[in-house]
Amino acid sequence: MAMLIDACFSALAARWTDELVITSAGNSSEVWWEITRDTERTFYLEASMSLSTMFAAGIAMGYPDARFWAFIGDGAFAMNTGMLFVERDLALPNLVSVIVANRCYGSTGGVVLPDSRDIDFAAVARAAGVARVFIFDSVAKLEAGFDEAFRSAGPTTVVLELEPPARHYESPPFDGPELKYRFGRALEKRFSRNVLP
Amino acid sequence: MVRAPIDAVESRPHLSDDDPGMTAGVDPKETGMKASSETERSGAPSRTATDVARRVADILSDAGADLVASLPDNWIAPMIRHFDADNRFRHVPVNREESAVGLCSGAFFTGAPGVALIGASGFLTCIYAITKINYTYQIPMLFLITMRGDPGDPARFHVSNGLYLRAVMDAIAIPFIDIDRYDDLGKIGAAYRHMSVIGRPYVVGMSRNVLRGNR
Repeated sequence: MAMLIDACFSALAARWTDELVITSAGNSSEVWWEITRDTERTFYLEASMSLSTMFAAGIAMGYPDARFWAFIGDGAFAMNTGMLFVERDLALPNLVSVIVANRCYGSTGGVVLPDSRDIDFAAVARAAGVARVFIFDSVAKLEAGFDEAFRSAGPTTVVLELEPPARHYESPPFDGPELKYRFGRALEKRFSRNVLP
Repeated sequence: MVRAPIDAVESRPHLSDDDPGMTAGVDPKETGMKASSETERSGAPSRTATDVARRVADILSDAGADLVASLPDNWIAPMIRHFDADNRFRHVPVNREESAVGLCSGAFFTGAPGVALIGASGFLTCIYAITKINYTYQIPMLFLITMRGDPGDPARFHVSNGLYLRAVMDAIAIPFIDIDRYDDLGKIGAAYRHMSVIGRPYVVGMSRNVLRGNR
């Protein structure tokens, strides 16, 4: 059982309040942009090859009163599972790492992830010592478990079991520096602090 | 730009502080103990690796840095220990150098870009992350790296760094300064400040001699 990414992300976006969101390469950036059209509470970190959650952690450490959602594709996750140990050590109570588990390289043609159906991403996170791990394979379950998974304090990993993308999605139409300034200026305004040089 | 690692291929007894199986603790210089006979003969100031680490931490703190992510090379093990104990910094040990790039780049949005304290070999694994994150978004961060493979490094397994590290940095046009003297450590602070002006990462390469307090 798995969700369509459009329905899943729509459910998340409908419950999104003031969390800061970091997306990963491909589908999470594309679909989140298509649904939200946001560039002030979202930073689209495309093509980092597994570094979106670390990037989010670097921000989250400096904003302990804000909450962060960091999407990472399962292809990226498989490249760098070692980051889980760093996340566990950091134990950031304000960061939710969200594994977009569509079992394929969704941004690069949908080629199947090797041994994809055999990988239990939630078990990998638990084995790394992440205490709060949630897995959702239907929108109904996601809606029912959303508050506990996304709103409770404590370092958290959420696995979203998704179908492979059914269509092509457009990338957010911005150059890197524009995204940096939009996101950075919004942080400055919201938190009344100097962020950008 | 590429220099032959003359000393790196010289004959040397098997066991040394640079052998992969040896820890930094074997070498008194790298545990913060007093100067080696090499230094004493040269008449250079008697400093330890810990003195150097403390000076680097002071410089970075004065420059506004507060996050250091590290992965060891035994030349910088004393410095890593120092940052771990220095409460002016949040020290995050990572298990892959690219994770330091992610973490330090994210820290840019806190107003204080992070510092990656890593070896030359680890730096070379970061090229994709640097070009995709730091260059694409113009996000600065500081790399403090070891100049492994330079003349004076007896480790054969670092010959490749001596041959290719500078050439790779040239290829991606990353700003770089080479520090071989204690008195030049202040350039680290200048690099940290300047990287935010130019919106690019900056690399400071530290020689074996400066890290051991020999110069």
